[in-house]
Amino acid sequence: MEFSWNQQQTEFRATVRDFLAQNLPDNWESIAHGPGSASQSEFSKQFCARLADAGLLVPHWPRQWGGREADAWSSFILAEEMWAAGEPRGGQYMNVNWIGPTLMRFGTEAQQQRYIPPMAQGETIWCQGFSEPEAGSDLASLRTKAEKQGDHYCINGQKIWTSYAGEAETCFLLARTGSGKKGISIFLLPMDTPGIIVVEIPSLIGEGDIHEVFFENVMVPATAMLGEEGQAWDIVRTALSLERVGIPRFALASRMLQRAVDFLKQRDRFHSGAAEQAARAKAACEATRLFSYEIIDQRQKGITAGAEASVARVATVNCERLVAEFVVEHLPETLASGDPLLLAHHQRGIVAGIASGAAEIQLNLIATQLLQLPREPR
Amino acid sequence: MDFALNSDQITLSSALDKLVSRYLSPPTDFRGFCLTSDTLEQELEQGGFFEAAQIPELGPVAAAAMVERLARLPYTVEAALSMLLSAQLEGDWPRPFAVIEHGRPGRFVAQAGTLIILDGNQVGITRASPDLVESMDSLYGYPMGRLKSSAVYTPLSAADAANVHKWLRVALAAEAAGLLQAALDTVIEHLSVRKQFGRPLGSFQAVQHRMAESTVLARGVRLLALKAAWSEDAGDAALAALHAQESATRVVYDLHQFMGAMGMTLEFPLHLWSYRLKALLSELDGRAGQAKAVAALCFN
Ligand SMILES: Cc1cc2nc3c(=O)[nH]c(=O)nc-3n(C[C@H](O)[C@H](O)[C@H](O)COP(=O)(O)OP(=O)(O)OC[C@H]3O[C@@H](n4cnc5c(N)ncnc54)[C@H](O)[C@@H]3O)c2cc1C
Repeated sequence: MEFSWNQQQTEFRATVRDFLAQNLPDNWESIAHGPGSASQSEFSKQFCARLADAGLLVPHWPRQWGGREADAWSSFILAEEMWAAGEPRGGQYMNVNWIGPTLMRFGTEAQQQRYIPPMAQGETIWCQGFSEPEAGSDLASLRTKAEKQGDHYCINGQKIWTSYAGEAETCFLLARTGSGKKGISIFLLPMDTPGIIVVEIPSLIGEGDIHEVFFENVMVPATAMLGEEGQAWDIVRTALSLERVGIPRFALASRMLQRAVDFLKQRDRFHSGAAEQAARAKAACEATRLFSYEIIDQRQKGITAGAEASVARVATVNCERLVAEFVVEHLPETLASGDPLLLAHHQRGIVAGIASGAAEIQLNLIATQLLQLPREPR
Repeated sequence: MDFALNSDQITLSSALDKLVSRYLSPPTDFRGFCLTSDTLEQELEQGGFFEAAQIPELGPVAAAAMVERLARLPYTVEAALSMLLSAQLEGDWPRPFAVIEHGRPGRFVAQAGTLIILDGNQVGITRASPDLVESMDSLYGYPMGRLKSSAVYTPLSAADAANVHKWLRVALAAEAAGLLQAALDTVIEHLSVRKQFGRPLGSFQAVQHRMAESTVLARGVRLLALKAAWSEDAGDAALAALHAQESATRVVYDLHQFMGAMGMTLEFPLHLWSYRLKALLSELDGRAGQAKAVAALCFN
C-alpha cells in the first residue's frame, strides 16, 4: 500500500494550482456564487479556453480529440483542484467528464465533428435533460415524448432541475420513443431550436443553477439521435459509470472546514464543542477522500468499481453534511451575507445527497449489491 | 497511491489467513462472554507473526492489516499492541501488552507481560507480574483485568509519550475495523435468513439503509487505520481512532437492534465483537479525547 503521490502527480497538481492562481480573477468569489449564471457561464468560456490552451481541459481524452491520454489519477487530481477552487469550469465539467467521451463512443462521425472540437476548445456549454416533474429518482418513468415524423422527431414534454439550461447551447436529452426502459432515446438538441422555453427556478442554491425546460412541438432531425432508438438506458449507464465517484466534494469540504476553523480561531470561538464537531467532520472528509482514491486506484488498474462507488457517494454526503452543519452552527453569519466562499460551499454542499441520484438510492445499491441483502418485494 | 498490498504483504496475509482458518467459528457449545485460544496464541507466536511486520518491506501497514484480520475472529488475542506498538518502544518488553488508563480495568491486563500506564498527561511503562494484577469478570468480549495496587512505572519523555499515544490510536482503529466488519458480517447473514411477515428481515428498506450506512462507516475506519499505519502521522492516527469510536457507537446499537432478542443471548456470537467494540469506546479518553487530538493536530 502506498498513500503518497508520485513525482509526476505532485508536479501535475502544482501545475493545476499555478494555473488557477494565475487565472482566477480577484472577484472570482462573487462570480462563483451563481454556478449557472450568465456571468459564470461567460467566465467559464474564457477560463476553459485558457485551460484548453494549457492542455488542462481534456488531458485524459484521446489524442485524436485534443487530449494526451492522461491517466485516471491526472483527471481526478484536475477535478479535485477545480472543485476545491469553486469549479471555474462551470457546466463544462460535464463535457469533459462524460458527454464528450460518450459522443466519442456512441456518436456518428458527423455528431463527433460537430460537437467534440468545441468541447475540447472549452467554448460550449451543455445541459443534461433527464429529470422530469414526475420522473426523479425513478428516471425510467420519464414521459417527454419524441414522435417520429418523416426524417424528424417531434418532441413534447417537460424537463426540470436542468442545470445550466439558461446558458447552454446543446441539451443531452432523454425522451420517450417507445415503452419501458428500452423505449427511451437520446437526442443532441440545440437549445435554440424553436419550441423550447427555459424558465429559471428561484432556489436556495445560487443564481442560475436549476431550470424548467418546456418542449412544444420541437422538431429535431433524426440525425440528432445519439445511438439507436431505445438505446438511451444502456448509453447513459455507460456514460455515468465514467462518473461513478462523482464530484470530489471532499476537496472543497475539507478546505472550507479549515477556513471556518481559521475564522473561529481568529475570533476566539474555537471552543471545545466546536473543536469536537470540526474533528468529526474532518474524519468524515478524510474517509471520503480515501474511498474516492481507492476507486480511482481501481480505475487506473482497469477495474470498474461496482457498489463501492455508492459507498464513496454516501460517504461524500456525510462529509458535506457534517461540514455544512458545523459551519451553520458555529458561524451562523455565513448564511447572512457572511464569507462568500463558505456561503457558496453551503449552497453547493446541501445538494450532495440529491443531485445526480438521491443518497437513499445509493444505500439501496449498497444493501442489495454489496451486502447482498434480499431485494424488497415489488 | 496504490491501495493494493505489496507482494510481501500479500504473502504474509495469506499465511495469516491460512493460520486463522481453523478459528473462524466459535465452538458450537460456547456460551461464554469471552473467547480466547491458547493454541491460536501459540501458533501466532511460533509463526513469528507478532514481529513479522518489523521488516521494512512489510511495515506498520502489514501489521495493521493483520490486526484487522485477527479482530474479525471470534477468538481474541492481544495482537494490536504487540504488532503496532512494541517496535516503537526502547528496550525489550515482553508481550502481551495492556493499557491501564486512569487506574481502570483494561483489556488483557491480567495476562500482560508489559503494562502501559496512562495517567493524566503522563505515560509510563512497566513489567507486569502476577502479584500486581488480577483478572475480573465482565460483559466485554476481552479478558479484563486490573491492578491490585498502584503500579510503579518509568515515565516516558513527552516525545515518547506522544508516540505511544499515536500508536495506541492506530492500534485501536485497526482493531475496531476488524470488529466492525465481523459484527456486520454475522448480522448480514442472519438478516438474509430470518423471516418475518413472510419475507427476510434484510429485505426491509429501513433495515437495509442502516446496514448500508454501517458498512460505509466500517469501511471508512479500515481505510483510515491503514492510512495512519502507513503515514505514521499523529493527526492521521487521531482521525482514525475518532472515526472508529464514532462509528462503533452507531453500528453496535443498530446491529443489536436488528438481531432482536437473539442478539441478547450468549449463543449468538455478535456480542463477541459488539462488546469488544464497547470496550474500545471509552479508551484513550473516548471520542472527546480523539476529537481534541484531531483539533490540535489536523487544523493548521
Ligand atoms: C442542484 C441540482 C442540480 C440538478 N441538475 C440536474 C440536471 O442538470 N439534469 C437533470 O436531469 N436533473 C438534475 N437534477 C435532478 C436530480 O437528478 C434529481 O433531483 C434526483 O434524481 C432526485 O429526484 P427528485 O428530486 O425528483 O426526488 P424524488 O425522486 O422525488 O425523491 C425525493 C426523495 O425521496 C427519497 N427516495 C426516492 N426514491 C427512493 C427509494 N427508491 N428508496 C428510498 N428513498 C427514496 C429520497 O430521499 C429522495 O431524495 C438536479 C438536482 C439538483 C438538486
